[in-house]
Amino acid sequence: MLKVHSRCDLSCDHCYVYQHADQTWRGRPARMPPATVQAAARRIAEHAREHGLPIVHVVLHGGEPLLLGAAGLREVLAELRTAITPWTRLDLRMQTNGVLLDEELCRLFVEYDVRVGVSFDGDRAANDRHRVFAHGGSSHDQVRRALALLRRPEHRASYAGILCTIDVRNDPDRVYEALLAESPPRVDLLLPHATWDHPPEHPGPARTPYADWLGRIHRRWVDDGRPMSIRMFEALRPGGGGTEAFGLAPADVLVIEADGSWEQVDSLKTAYHGAADTGFDVFDQSVDEVARHPGVAVRQDGVDGLCATCRACPVVDRCGGGLYAHRWRTGSGFDNPSVYCADLLSLIDTVDAYPPPSPLASGERSATSPVDELLDDLATGHGSASTLALLAATQLSITRALLAAGRDRSGATAAWDLLVHLDQTAPEAVRAVLAHPFVRPGLVHRLDSSAPPGLGVAVDPLPALAIAAALLAGVPATLQVPVRADAITLPSLGRLVLPGLGESAEVSVRPGEFQVRGGSVEQTVLLDPLALPSTGWLPTRDVSVPGGRLLLEDGDPYRDCYGQPVESRLEVPAARALGRTLAEAWRVVHRDVPAHAAALDGGLRAVVPLAPDPARPLRSATARHAFGAVAVTPHPDPETMAVLLVHEWQHAKLGAVLDLYDLVEPAHGSRIRVPWRPDPRPPEGVLQGVYAHLAVTQVWQSRAATDQPDASAHAAHFLGWTRDGVDALLASRSLTAAGERFVGQLRHALEETRVGSR
Amino acid sequence: MDHAPARSSRPYLDDLTRSLHTPLERIAVEHADLIEAVRRRVVTNDSVPSGIVAVAAFNSSI
Repeated sequence: MLKVHSRCDLSCDHCYVYQHADQTWRGRPARMPPATVQAAARRIAEHAREHGLPIVHVVLHGGEPLLLGAAGLREVLAELRTAITPWTRLDLRMQTNGVLLDEELCRLFVEYDVRVGVSFDGDRAANDRHRVFAHGGSSHDQVRRALALLRRPEHRASYAGILCTIDVRNDPDRVYEALLAESPPRVDLLLPHATWDHPPEHPGPARTPYADWLGRIHRRWVDDGRPMSIRMFEALRPGGGGTEAFGLAPADVLVIEADGSWEQVDSLKTAYHGAADTGFDVFDQSVDEVARHPGVAVRQDGVDGLCATCRACPVVDRCGGGLYAHRWRTGSGFDNPSVYCADLLSLIDTVDAYPPPSPLASGERSATSPVDELLDDLATGHGSASTLALLAATQLSITRALLAAGRDRSGATAAWDLLVHLDQTAPEAVRAVLAHPFVRPGLVHRLDSSAPPGLGVAVDPLPALAIAAALLAGVPATLQVPVRADAITLPSLGRLVLPGLGESAEVSVRPGEFQVRGGSVEQTVLLDPLALPSTGWLPTRDVSVPGGRLLLEDGDPYRDCYGQPVESRLEVPAARALGRTLAEAWRVVHRDVPAHAAALDGGLRAVVPLAPDPARPLRSATARHAFGAVAVTPHPDPETMAVLLVHEWQHAKLGAVLDLYDLVEPAHGSRIRVPWRPDPRPPEGVLQGVYAHLAVTQVWQSRAATDQPDASAHAAHFLGWTRDGVDALLASRSLTAAGERFVGQLRHALEETRVGSR
Repeated sequence: MDHAPARSSRPYLDDLTRSLHTPLERIAVEHADLIEAVRRRVVTNDSVPSGIVAVAAFNSSI
């Protein structure tokens, strides 16, 4: 947080900077001098470079940062972008009272990709209770005008949201409606700063007036379908993760004051004079040195850094002890619960209780949460069609989020603009491309490059994605597409290999074909599946299965994500043979375990051939980033292939679940002995093992019922493995509550399997 | 305003399903927390403890 201007044009009586215990602002320069801005930017860049940080968030703060004016702010923003963006992604933010915001400033913030939060307390009466000029006049009209400017389509990308400091004397309904009327992407509701030395106001007899007031807003918000993000309520949900004010995550905010001093979070100013001081400054000390300051270090300890009362509290993972500053009491320092402890407890109850669980309709299983329903359904061993559809939807959503993150990194490009256009005009085409299993590995590779931006990164996957979507949509388009190893890969469609293409080629989509120009090459590729493939074009082959079309993916470079060699493009006879085996294996799965077949139908879209290895002829694999695909050695026996498909699809489903939920305690480093390997395994490996073995047990149970030779022996073998693995897992105490529930339900499914149900 | 992304270690089911209905160009603004959670969970794998199974080749890792 950069305090670029230490004075303010409002005189809010609830401001912790000027009106509370700390008065250090009086000795600081009004503006942060250019040399201090440079030193601050260098320190941030240095830290990002040394630690390889993927992102740094910088908030311009005050006082009131707009007092710098457009020219002054431009200098600061340019300095930050120049110094920091070569080393990491810079997320620039600003917090302002909005009074001075005008069109020129809005354009500046859009130009520098700055997202602006505006302080605004609600309706006129609420806002003007505290947010007034020194002469006592209202700021309400000026702030609403600022919010209207940010709402304009051309500025909207710079509208971060609203900070609303609550006052329980205000009408919560009117405050909620006033906030909603401003269409903010996010609202941050702030409890007024208070300590045990200076407790919050309790204007009436209520024991928890703040929880009551916020509870009213929570009810309105839920009833309205959560029309905007309200950070406080989202953070207090189970597993909400937290913010600066809630949760147990390590503190990760440092403040640079206008004179270059490093300070701890500035809400500490409410505790006592000098509370945020470190004695360090950006000229002489690095971020690492400040991070070792005791006041910062103590806030890295999670629950261990809290007082005994908090450590023993069952909801400590939700509130995290509340805002650090709110724990202050002279004598015991910060070793106390929050002065808002009773309100936070009550508010957590409110968040948990509303909306109430829906009443059971006749025939419904239970009134469990959506999370529990999903896990319970998958714990049957297979999962219903609706659960598979939900998992596939979450995977697609994750890929879209990665795409947006990639845009954040690269900025707007012609490829991005084309994807955005197609997303509006031909969403099914975009969806079909993004659902290809190897899009996500490509995006992750791009985002996770160890090389910082500007120093050599993975090939940008967006142009090829946009061209593939345009081809599917039949929309004419032209883009420059990166070439990798003389090839352009269009996800889900195929691969064009033409030596001499150079590093980048112009690709033009036309009806039924596309044209490529690059290096010394010019080539038109016809997409008619009945025509002979054009020179260099290797279309992705597919085979008809009960679930639709199954791709034989032997061309996409990102299919190489299984930790073992993948086969290069199959010759035509080999591809046909594998296709026949897979189609027959799919029918075998339908014959043996229809419930598992329905789960395959719901999500398996591609099979990757693994390279042959005579020493290990029967192998298969699943990759966490490639939902919708499995890799197999091209074994010719459909009965064997059916078992591989069922086994691997279990891993794919569980992998998708693990993107959403922790089933194993994250910090658990234990190893568990399992019957299927000689060496002790980590809990997640055992979980994956028992889930796959349960399904394989069900396959062999089914075959045993039709008297297939050796099926009973195989069934008993896998049943024993699964049962022992489940029992070891449950005894290990390595599972989260959701994991305990999931594995407990698996145990039930196992008992049903044992008595012979199909 | 606390401008830092929410520190959730995982994306929420509700947010994931809602974001599917958000135009691609609006996702970064409307679902900033989701993007950060995905970045942490999927790209940098912040939640993954040491000793966890590899994401690939489960058959050799279970």
